[in-house]
Formats: sequence, structure tokens, C-alpha cells
Amino acid sequence: MTRSRDEMELDLAFLVNGTLSEAEMAEMEALLAEDDLLAAERDALATIRAEMQAEEIRTPGEFGLARLMRDVNRDAAAPAAAETKVVALRSRTWMWQAAAAVAVLALAVQAYLPTTGAPQGEGYVLAGASAPGALVVSFAPDTPELQIRDLLVGAELEIVSGPSALGLYRLDVLDGGDLDTATAALRAARTIVESVENAEN
Amino acid sequence: MTENHHFLVQQVGKGDKQALAALYRAYERPVYKFIVSRLNDPHEAADILHEVFMDIWRVAASFEGRSQVRTWIFGIAYRKVIDAHRKRSRVTVTDEVPETGDVAEAADAGYAAKQEAEHLRFCMGTLSDDHRSAISLAFYEDMTCAEIAEIAGVPEGTIKSRLHHAKKLLLHCLSGRIRGRAVA
Repeated sequence: MTRSRDEMELDLAFLVNGTLSEAEMAEMEALLAEDDLLAAERDALATIRAEMQAEEIRTPGEFGLARLMRDVNRDAAAPAAAETKVVALRSRTWMWQAAAAVAVLALAVQAYLPTTGAPQGEGYVLAGASAPGALVVSFAPDTPELQIRDLLVGAELEIVSGPSALGLYRLDVLDGGDLDTATAALRAARTIVESVENAEN
Repeated sequence: MTENHHFLVQQVGKGDKQALAALYRAYERPVYKFIVSRLNDPHEAADILHEVFMDIWRVAASFEGRSQVRTWIFGIAYRKVIDAHRKRSRVTVTDEVPETGDVAEAADAGYAAKQEAEHLRFCMGTLSDDHRSAISLAFYEDMTCAEIAEIAGVPEGTIKSRLHHAKKLLLHCLSGRIRGRAVA
């Protein structure tokens, strides 16, 4: 079967990316040998493809994965909490906040529980007691990764573990950073940070 | 590789978070690149990438394996970006090939020079989302026409047509920018 030039021209991009069959490729090459304009287009597209593939791009990387795991754990925790019937919770967000508060209590620091029936123990995993990090932090749900990253970079902090099943992160100051200054920066970011506590290992 | 990724999706469907992490590591870069190429906003792209993998986590159990894992994941990303465009009420920038301009000129005008990356980024940004998606999947991911058609949910002929128009628009734009620089 012989195709028209116009039909074959539509396959030019797939000639360039190497996904045509051998027969189609041979047909195209024969056409290009006689058609200088199409051959020039092929060369231009090949350059564009090479340029695109060579483009360096910075991805969310491990931070994006940590964020994903945090939210997956939050998703997974919702039905588990319902099964244990510890307390009736009206929304996932509310439950998350209550659970985070329990974890903070377990770290023997100040905490606030908005109801008398807060979740306890069963069904939840607290941040590891011997985990690394000077601070234990939870972030507001739905905070964009960019805001968290900017906050941590600005405060000279890094995530050393987490998120835990409750979405808690353990942070350390970078070399040369000051823990008190960093803690103050986190506490000042009230729209991003839900809780900040000193870790007690 | 494909069978391995299929297995990972099955595991994710059973609630295996490590399998999800493995899928994320395998697809994060190409999917993110695809999203960025359509949005030109790395921060919004990071949020959409996150949504894509949350969707994978939630719906993996319903993946029947009739399509490749790659096209399935890119299909989710494809629709997420369309949703993002709708939220932005973003208008299509360019959909028609201008009458002026000479493709051969663009091809011959020294485009091959490495410093044209910036021109390429600019010109990609002038394309409509449909055109940009097709170019991205064809050239970033080297996908077949059938794969791109499956992701976009349109016939293969539509993808060929989109690529054809995208090619004309890109080369026309590049020609104009290169000519402009030469004059300057």
C-alpha cells in the first residue's frame, strides 16, 4: 500500500522519535530522499526533540515523596479510625488535627484537645521515641510543597525523618543554623505549621 | 519493566505504600516534566504531580491492566492538567497556523545551535494545550501515536493532525524569533 505525501508527512514526528514500524520507516526515508523540505523539517524536529530531552529539570524528588506518604497515611488512617470507633469524627481534617494533638501530648509537651474523646493509642502510631531530629512538627493539611520548602530553607532546617503515620516530621537545623531562631520561625508561620515541639529522645 | 510496574500497581491496589513509593520513583520525573511542559509553572506542577499519585493510590485497585501502566498514569496526569486549565480559565493562545513564515527557513536558519533552548521554551509556551501535550508525549517520552491517542482519549488521526499543526506553529515561531535576533 502506497500512501500519499500528505499522509506520510503526518508521521514525521514518529519517524523522529523512532516509533514507526520498519516498513513505515523505510517508506518515509524514501520520501525524504526526494523531498528536501520534508527532510529539513525532519532535521528541525530531531533538533527540537534532542533539545527537549536534554532539558534539565528539578523535580519535587524525595520531598514530594514524603508529602505523598504523609497524605497517603492520612487517607489510610481515616477508615482505620472509624473501625476502632474511638470517637466519632466529623471530617478527615478534624481527625487529623486531633490525632496530631494526641501525638504532641505523648511527647510530654503542651497540647490542646478539642474534645473529651480524643483518639488514644490503638489505631495510631506515634513518632519513634528514639528517632533523630531536634524538633517534631506537623504542617497544615493542603499546604503546598513550595511553602513548606521555602519555610524550611529560610529557617535553615532539614527533614531528617517522617512523615510518621500521623504526619509528623522530625527536623534538624543545618550546620551553622540556630535551633531557637529556627523554632521561632516555625512558630511564626502559623498558617503553615500546626505544631512545633522540641523532640525528647 | 512493564510487568514489574503492573505488579506494583496491583500491590498499590492492595494498600502497599512501598509499591506506591517505587512507582513514584519510576514515574515522578517524566510525569512531572510532562505536567510542567503544559503549565509552565513548576510549583503548580508539583501540586498536580502530588494529586496524580494520590489518585493512583485511591484507584489502583480498579486498574484492570488493559492499558500499559505508563499510559494509564500519563492519562491521569493529562486529565489533571486539563482540570487545572479549566480552573484557571486559561485561553488557548494559538490554534491556527499563520499564513506567513517559511518552514524551510526555520530549519535552515541555524536552529540547530544549542543556544536556541530559550526560543524553544518560548515557542512551546505559545502552543495550545492540545498541541503541547502531543509534542511533549512524542518528544519527551517517545510515545507511539497509539499511546498518545489513548492518553488523550482521541483517535490516532487527531493526534497526527495535532502534531502536524504543532510542528508548523513551532517552526514558524522559531523562525520568527531567530530572524528577529538576527535583525537585532
